[in-house]
Amino acid sequence: MKFERNCLFAFLALAALVPFAVRDQYVLHIAIMVLFYAVLATSLNLVVGYVGEFSLGHTAFLGTGAYAAAILSTQYGWPMWLTIPVAGLLSALVGALIGAITLRLQGPFFVIVTLSFAEVLRLVADNWIGLTNGPMGIAGVPQPGVLAEAGNLASKQFYYAVAWGLLALALYLSWRFVHSNAGRAAVAIRENRYVAQSIGVRPLTYSMLALVLGALLSGMAGGFYAHYISFVGPEMFRFAFMVSMIIMVLVGGKGTLVGPLIGALLVTFLEEYLREAKELRLSIFGLAVIAIVLFLPQGLMGFAGRRRERRNPAPAAATGPATPPAPKVAHHASGRTA
Amino acid sequence: MSAAIDMNGAASLEVRGLCKSFGGIHAVKDISFEVRPGEIIGLIGPNGAGKTTCFNLITGFYTPTAGSVRYGGSDVTGEKPYRMARRGIVRSFQKTNILKSLTVFENVLTGHYLEARQSLWQTFFPGRRVRATEAAVRESAARIVETMGLAHRMDSPASILSCGELRLLEVALALAAKPKVLMLDEPAAGLNSQEARTFGEILRTLPGRLVQSVLIVEHNMGLVMAVSDRVVVMHFGEKLAEGTPAQVQGDARVVEAYLGRKAMA
Repeated sequence: MKFERNCLFAFLALAALVPFAVRDQYVLHIAIMVLFYAVLATSLNLVVGYVGEFSLGHTAFLGTGAYAAAILSTQYGWPMWLTIPVAGLLSALVGALIGAITLRLQGPFFVIVTLSFAEVLRLVADNWIGLTNGPMGIAGVPQPGVLAEAGNLASKQFYYAVAWGLLALALYLSWRFVHSNAGRAAVAIRENRYVAQSIGVRPLTYSMLALVLGALLSGMAGGFYAHYISFVGPEMFRFAFMVSMIIMVLVGGKGTLVGPLIGALLVTFLEEYLREAKELRLSIFGLAVIAIVLFLPQGLMGFAGRRRERRNPAPAAATGPATPPAPKVAHHASGRTA
Repeated sequence: MSAAIDMNGAASLEVRGLCKSFGGIHAVKDISFEVRPGEIIGLIGPNGAGKTTCFNLITGFYTPTAGSVRYGGSDVTGEKPYRMARRGIVRSFQKTNILKSLTVFENVLTGHYLEARQSLWQTFFPGRRVRATEAAVRESAARIVETMGLAHRMDSPASILSCGELRLLEVALALAAKPKVLMLDEPAAGLNSQEARTFGEILRTLPGRLVQSVLIVEHNMGLVMAVSDRVVVMHFGEKLAEGTPAQVQGDARVVEAYLGRKAMA
């Protein structure tokens, strides 16, 4: 737990230093995307990593947030500091609605139904031209007023700060959730639904809490994206975002808070680096995911975790395999009860 | 964890005429018994007698076809498992069910869910009360691990535990939910005879200390007869006999159910 907290603080601290060190707009843009994806991966990880249900519909929340921010700012003139939180809340509401239906299902059924919800929302965005401007999307999402006079570099730095704030919020909320009684209940559901129920956990309560929290965070990320890119189209709901998020969570290590950050960092840079490979890029990512599922099911953080255990051997692990454990139980137990 | 639990307002678990059919199979037929405070009740019978089905019916994993389950005077028939747990009726499982990727301590800590429940606000902005509760449940979890004789395994992942240790962990996990009625489904399966004896000694100390009463399904006859105040015998879904261990052991029908009838000359 200490190790994890230090990692998170180190990541945030290093991330805070980036805009002072980097003057290159292109690199800064990539750094912003890393933070944006880190929020998304963290939010997906709450459901995939802690409740243990694989949601393929997470783009539903991202897209809802992006459209909410775009519509509120272009049509109603709301400022960015208001649209991003409202985008998050709206997504959380959508999350509660979708969760109330889908979270009654588990395993492959949950996967398919969440996927279909994202698809349905994409069709809505594509066809409700009056609200979403259809396939044309919403262009010219306004920038905050303070950037009117600022140069390109300054506005990149401004957006970087906003993304950093979002990530800090996402990590704070996730940290509190994961290391609370609620987080333990969620893990109990992931590990064994029967045990969870028999110790008094109502599974729907905590899968719902994780999903709604994830929806809130990805909705805010979507709102941020709308302002930053200043364009929102139906492709927000497309599978491409979903694929990136999944790869990040799996590569980094699901069920850890540090994993998705590492995943976001690696995958975003790799995506840029492999841009020259064009279509081959997706094939490379596909192979990477297969390799990770096969050889490193816990992701990169699982690797770190295992190594840490060896460095700090628990008393039992030191004597573990050498002596048969069974007689030891009897010995200890009888010592207590005698 | 206080040394003794409050036995004032202790309640009986009453099972009346419980039935469960799966299609044409009558898995449980008209079973009635009572678990009174302070008692350990053994539920035995040959394989397939319907003991585990009975457990599933009482704890709400199955809905009974007929009959009722009453606890502390209120009808709790068919209530959801997590509701039964909140009423203080907590079970373990025949097929070992624990939280495999967590350590022994984490398992038992998770078991304290009901005690450590908090509001949504407290989850994200924990205050002094939450910290105090967390400290208390951690202390309690460590003590339960010690009570079950797993102290030397405190920080081991559950996945490396031996079969016998897993059974003990499962009981510890159930105890962590601070049940009033503890229901154990074959807790000694996989324990060797020495371990089973030790387990029996631990079990004997529980009523009045950590729980009010215990209902135990077990095939280890030595253990059941040693710990139980009364024994209920099931056979082909029906109740064959009920009585003290001595009465049951002397019952010709029980002997017949287990060993078969003597050939008629």
